[in-house]
Amino acid sequence: MAEQLRTEEMMVNMGPQHPSTHGVCRLILTIDGEVINDCVPVIGYLHRAIEKICENRTYAQCIPLMDRFEYVTAMSCNWVFALAAEKLSDIEIPERAEYLRVIMAELNRMASHLLCIGVTSMDIGALTPFLYTFREREMILDLFEMTCGQRLTYNYIRVGGVSRDIPPEFVPMCRQFLDIIDAKVDDYERVLTENPIWIARNKGIGIIPEQMVYDYAISGPSARASGVNFDIRKHDTYSIYDRFDFEVPVFYGCDSYDRYRARIAEVRQSARIVRQALDGLPDGPVRAKVSMNFKTKPGEVYTRIENSRGEMGINLISDGSRKPFRVRARGGSYNHLMALPDIVRGTKIADLVAIFASLDIIMPEIDR
Amino acid sequence: MELAPVFDWLYNQLSALGLGDTLNNLISLIVVSVIVFGFLCLVALFLVWWERKISAHVQQRFGPMMTGWHGALQTVADAVKLLQKEDITPAIADRNVFFWAPVVCFTCAFAAYVVIPFGDGLIVSDLNIGILYIIAITTFTIISLLMAGWGSNNKYALLGGMRSAAQGVSYEVPLVLSILGVVMVTGSMSMNDIVRAQSGWGGFHWNVFFQPLGFLIYVTAATAETNRTPFDIPEAEQELVAGYNVEYSGMKFAMFFLAEFINMFTVSAITVTVFLGGWNGPFLPSWVWFLGKTLFMVFIMMLFRWTYPRLRVDQLMEFSWKVLLPLAFLNIVYVGVFAKWLNW
Amino acid sequence: MTKEQLTRHIKENFSAELDVIENEQPEPYFIIKADNLVKFCRFIHDDPGLVMDFLMNLSGVDTGERFEVVYNVCSYRLKHRIYFKILLDRQNAEFDTVRSVWPAADWYEREVWELFGMNVRGHPNLTRFLLPDDWDEGHPLRKDWVGKDVIPFPER
Repeated sequence: MAEQLRTEEMMVNMGPQHPSTHGVCRLILTIDGEVINDCVPVIGYLHRAIEKICENRTYAQCIPLMDRFEYVTAMSCNWVFALAAEKLSDIEIPERAEYLRVIMAELNRMASHLLCIGVTSMDIGALTPFLYTFREREMILDLFEMTCGQRLTYNYIRVGGVSRDIPPEFVPMCRQFLDIIDAKVDDYERVLTENPIWIARNKGIGIIPEQMVYDYAISGPSARASGVNFDIRKHDTYSIYDRFDFEVPVFYGCDSYDRYRARIAEVRQSARIVRQALDGLPDGPVRAKVSMNFKTKPGEVYTRIENSRGEMGINLISDGSRKPFRVRARGGSYNHLMALPDIVRGTKIADLVAIFASLDIIMPEIDR
Repeated sequence: MELAPVFDWLYNQLSALGLGDTLNNLISLIVVSVIVFGFLCLVALFLVWWERKISAHVQQRFGPMMTGWHGALQTVADAVKLLQKEDITPAIADRNVFFWAPVVCFTCAFAAYVVIPFGDGLIVSDLNIGILYIIAITTFTIISLLMAGWGSNNKYALLGGMRSAAQGVSYEVPLVLSILGVVMVTGSMSMNDIVRAQSGWGGFHWNVFFQPLGFLIYVTAATAETNRTPFDIPEAEQELVAGYNVEYSGMKFAMFFLAEFINMFTVSAITVTVFLGGWNGPFLPSWVWFLGKTLFMVFIMMLFRWTYPRLRVDQLMEFSWKVLLPLAFLNIVYVGVFAKWLNW
Repeated sequence: MTKEQLTRHIKENFSAELDVIENEQPEPYFIIKADNLVKFCRFIHDDPGLVMDFLMNLSGVDTGERFEVVYNVCSYRLKHRIYFKILLDRQNAEFDTVRSVWPAADWYEREVWELFGMNVRGHPNLTRFLLPDDWDEGHPLRKDWVGKDVIPFPER
């Protein structure tokens, strides 16, 4: 019967504006009834030529630009660029600065994962966890505002250390936050993890087989949900992560449900790291002496850190002057979006929204 | 005190004044309709406000606070805004069908209130096929969804309308079967009889204690009938296909919107009447008990919306045909066996 | 493997010539001839001692005199990485696609084509990517590119 019914393919546009906070990405879908035959992402709506602009700015002037590279985890963007510049020079970072960098980056990772969980549940229809996760995220943003005055684009982690020391109210407030976050994450799990509707919408949806992870260079929680045990904090250690005791959660389901579980587990592990960092926070200066005419040695380096979306890397080519010669920034969502057509081929339209949300794609990382 | 249904009472009063038969009928009809219509408009206004407040408090925020006491006049403000909007009919739409779809939806929502017992004797007309009449009228709403989808002449609206209609028709079957269980025990389809049969035993004679499975099936099927989450995929904004009311704006859209809330109240009222003892209750007047219980059921349905994610369309249909329907049949068998055995 | 082991392993087992550049970073740095590109990539991907299956980054560079394409590759399983590049002539910059080795190179190469103007042989989909659909003002990341409305940033 199916062969006798002639069906036509329809080309449908899932336009640049989305009802949820994925950013501006256009997907041109070719659908046959309810099933997606092909999906072509059209990007470039958020292209701000960050790489070209960086070629004409000094290293200190590049840091606020890198904030906007991926504004949900701006601390990590700052950090990877500062790391790249420091690798090409002889600066020694003070201990206190390293600890503060770790604390800020892990708090930022928690905020980003909370946002992703909230947005994913909003896309699937459960509108309340979105507001609950944002309530916790507000506490983290209050901590950031107390430190550097900004809630979203921080310009805090600079070449040589961090820009300023934390105020005395930071540590008690941070500890207060850490005390409640485990109970709150348990709350989210109670609403979502065992919910049969959540499982029906997420289990078995958006399968990324292990070979696809290797092929498309997928990293971060999406790779760890497919059984690939790869975390740059453990396997290519940078800064002082080797001093902290934390686990890397790996799941083997390869589907949206396991990506969600990987993110929840990472929030808990990040809380562990921040607690240990706060306990071991030494005194001292927070920034090495970096002159206005900071120049790196000529050379090329590729630095990478573990961002909440995967690997974030900077390929910095310097000719020994005050300005970088070539900055190439790479974000994790780039590869996820590249793999998206292969993931959604053959699934239903209603699942596309769930898959797109669970991959945690943030457009500015792709368009730069 | 045994009160007669409202329509009969009014008719008798007016005939005592010596008016002719036709005039009597006409005046009684108009007065009763106006009263019911007015009450339902107030209910719709109240429910819209209540939904916004409940959703806000579930999400740890305040909701409307500025217009009136805690935002009580917010719905009035929204209604005034919608009245001022331009009434757009798309050029390629089928004008007649497009116009009449919201009218049909709204009318059927109201027409169900002829047999809802608001209290002891506070029923417009105690038809002896009460519950069957309600089920028939609420099924008409599905026709209005199809009319909306077709009349918009928009492939997405049509798909959305057909999905809503398919969902409505599928969930009718377990809904009717769960009510059938109660009708079997009561022996009558009249709403007053069903409520009276649940009086006594200090509240433990309510049908929910004897047929809990029927109650759960009814509440689930009713949530799906009124297109509420977790079954609201035809109306979801995040999905690609936008739903049957995508081309409607202004007052026509408001009619669909208000009809959804009236339907929710209807369905809760039926739950209360059939399973939760209707207007039975000590001390307080009967209509207070009825309103309290109905608003409680409405509250439960609103909590569903703000807690659960939504099901995909095929999962929704699978749930109805593969899970609810066998359970509903099981319920009938159970009622038949036990009602016969225990002589309920 | 450590940096010295990697360098030695690759030099011994790769048949064509390559240059090893001394650097202070913990990863070896090679320069490959553009013709040997796909052969080299396939070698490091398939060799059981290397298993370089994670193409981290592929970027184009315009040094003013010539073009370069930089590859940063790592291994998911063995956790080591290398940094290599190919040198191209400015006038007719062309290189082969490595999509057959790492499908992830797809969009990276498309971006290099769009922003630099280097031709990628064998790529099936060299179309507009980051820039607007009606862009006709050249290739922006070249050092000699001058845009129509660009205001130079003041020196400090």
